[in-house]
Amino acid sequence: MRLVKIVLLVSLVVALPACSKMITPYHDQNMDFSGIETVAVLPFANLSGQRNVEGRVRDVFMNMFIATGGVYVLPAGEVARGISRIQIVEPTAPSVEEIQKLGEVLHADAVITGMLKEYGEVRSGTAASNVISLSLQMIEVKSGKVIWTGNSTKGGISVKDRLLGGGGQPMNQITEEAVSDLLHQLFLG
Amino acid sequence: MICSTSFSWARSLALLAVFALLGGCAAVSASGRAIAEVDRPRPKIAVFPVQNLSGGVAPLEEIRAALVGFLEADCGEVVGEKELQAVMAAERVRNVGGITGPLAMKMREATGADSVLITSLELYNEQFPPKIALLARLVSLTDPPAILWMDSVGLAGDEAPGILGLGLIRQPDQLRDKALRTLVGSLKAHLTGEKGSLEAARKFQPKMAYGIVSLGAEKKYRIAVTPFFNFSDRKYAGEIMALHFVDALQKFDNIEVIEPGIVLEEMLRFRIIMEDGFSKPAAGNLFVTLEPDFIFSGKVFDYLDYTGEWGVPVVDFSTEMIDGKNRQVVWTSKSYNAGSDGVFFFDWGRVTTARAMAAGMAQAISGLIAQ
Repeated sequence: MRLVKIVLLVSLVVALPACSKMITPYHDQNMDFSGIETVAVLPFANLSGQRNVEGRVRDVFMNMFIATGGVYVLPAGEVARGISRIQIVEPTAPSVEEIQKLGEVLHADAVITGMLKEYGEVRSGTAASNVISLSLQMIEVKSGKVIWTGNSTKGGISVKDRLLGGGGQPMNQITEEAVSDLLHQLFLG
Repeated sequence: MICSTSFSWARSLALLAVFALLGGCAAVSASGRAIAEVDRPRPKIAVFPVQNLSGGVAPLEEIRAALVGFLEADCGEVVGEKELQAVMAAERVRNVGGITGPLAMKMREATGADSVLITSLELYNEQFPPKIALLARLVSLTDPPAILWMDSVGLAGDEAPGILGLGLIRQPDQLRDKALRTLVGSLKAHLTGEKGSLEAARKFQPKMAYGIVSLGAEKKYRIAVTPFFNFSDRKYAGEIMALHFVDALQKFDNIEVIEPGIVLEEMLRFRIIMEDGFSKPAAGNLFVTLEPDFIFSGKVFDYLDYTGEWGVPVVDFSTEMIDGKNRQVVWTSKSYNAGSDGVFFFDWGRVTTARAMAAGMAQAISGLIAQ
């Protein structure tokens, strides 16, 4: 009887993650991604409550994206020129018309927008750790359609942090992990 | 026992003889160097007032006076204060952090100097432990001016405390003189033809680097380094980081770095305001007028020095290099380090100033670009 109880408990623990809802990345099945050669990464929206951190995350993303060698990522200064030239009111959430105009000005095939949802330290009781949560979407300039979305959350308080403390991984490291995860979602689906 | 004692005596005598011989070699070498120094003509140097990039109040005149003293003793003749002030007033020189071609020629005619020493104060803190960081470069008074030598130094009073704190430097003046002597020593070594090391510590290598450019040794590539876009809380971090790259890049034989004074002049002439970095038209203007092979720029996210005994300096930046041929980004990198990186026992390997890290990180990136 006792053995049955233990087996049931273990199965319950093992089965619990199945109930969690995982947001899967979206890929437009009709899109030929090999046609995208030049990409403009727009400034990210910042919902984290920390000041000026969206620029850091965007910079890491742009560096790692160009380093894949798959696409040419326009320099941030060039994107800023395009934004001011066509006077995009809200660069973090542009309209389809604005994206198409921006694409023409910058000769970009696609535009990436992003949202930084969490960035910085989180606390739970006496435990503290760093966390980042970032979602991105790629919009094709010609059609103005969203062709890819992805999101990643890295860091947070682990069992180890709760038991041993230590404050978790450095912010730069988890930012790189999150961006690497997003690029993995983009290229490998 | 007796045998053992006599053996150790013999060994001691042999050791003494070796030391004596070594001392003799040093004396010969020193006297040889002294003869070479007598033969070499001593340059006449104009010393610009110290540019303050520390973001705070600092005794700039005292630093300059001490620097002039060390230069006169070790390197060459220095243009007199009144003579220099007269030229600077006549030419209405406001930027002491760089020099342009026409100004260089006028300064040469008026003072008879061969070169100008441009010094920038990066950090100055008198609170214990005192801290100081300086960047200096020797620029030829020609049109266009060329960077002949550049180096930087950063010291903290508690860098080498030694046993019972006997190595602590408590007086800011003492630390200032030590830093200036290091800089002047480096300049003297350059004037005598010595070459510095191009190696950077492994921990300062960029965390991520991407490049589709390879600079060969057969050609000298012209690079314009522009001030970095500053996202950090430190005032002038963009200018400081750019100067560290000027220093690091100019050390390579296949790279010619354009004097930052000329780059700044052109940026002002074209009214280039960097929004988030360089745009194509802004870069285009510089490519047309300065004719560099590459424009080197970047962003600084953290440039943090601490005050007092406890703290960790932090430097975080990214770089990008635009090619003059196709106006595209051909190099990007991301670097970040803290002063406590790689420290496991008794603060061994601790870095106390952001300057030391920034210089090491810039050296590591420049090595990757140049080779």
